Amino acid sequence: MMSDDNRKKQDMIISHNEIRPGSVQPNASISRKLRDFYDAVQEEGIPDRFLDLLEKLEEAERNTKSVKVK
Amino acid sequence: MTTTEDDDRGFKRDLLASLPNLRAFAVSLTGRHDKADDLVQDTIMKAWANQTSFTAGTNMRAWLFTILRNEFYSQMRKRGREVQDTDGLFSERFSVHPEQYGRLDLQDFRKALDKLPDDQREAIILVGAAGFAYEEAATICGCAVGTIKSRVSRARTRLQELLGVSGEGDFGPDAGHAAITARAFGG
Repeated sequence: MMSDDNRKKQDMIISHNEIRPGSVQPNASISRKLRDFYDAVQEEGIPDRFLDLLEKLEEAERNTKSVKVK
Repeated sequence: MTTTEDDDRGFKRDLLASLPNLRAFAVSLTGRHDKADDLVQDTIMKAWANQTSFTAGTNMRAWLFTILRNEFYSQMRKRGREVQDTDGLFSERFSVHPEQYGRLDLQDFRKALDKLPDDQREAIILVGAAGFAYEEAATICGCAVGTIKSRVSRARTRLQELLGVSGEGDFGPDAGHAAITARAFGG
């Protein structure tokens, strides 16, 4: 996982590239939008179907194990 | 005995912790929430079945991303390249989850991202959004670090061009250039 510090560092490096007159720092704004887009999906959290699935997988595993023990 | 149970719990806990990020990667690759969630489900099943091949203490997130990515490309190969219809796909995406992209600039961004070649898109997502180092991204994609770096850089340039077109209206001296790009990329 990239730390916030690294991200800041990366943004700084990026914003140094190609700053054109009359434009916002294009790469910095692209980095931000990329993360905005990605974070919007991340913030939806974990849909129930995956929690149910993991629950079932765990249960199936428990059952196989208890059979083996017997 | 208790050690194995602890390991199992640790595996599930780490998997759960990685899920939101993994799912965002799936949405980035497929462009659609329904397909992304099917892909995540397949990935969870594969990961669970191959738990023993995961070395505890190593990077589970990178391991899961690798599984998901392999699964995505193998499914794409099976299905053929239906994913190429970016404009049609784009409107379909929006009808599925319009609330995701309420902000207009995010919609433009999504559209631009869709126009990138697959290899460039995944590279910039892994490094720029999912939080992987270049080295990790290279491992996940099974290519050299230099390849990832150049894909990320090409992706940035392309996104800049594409977003410049629909852009933030602040071009100044670059307006002429923007008009040329607009023609080249069909607006």
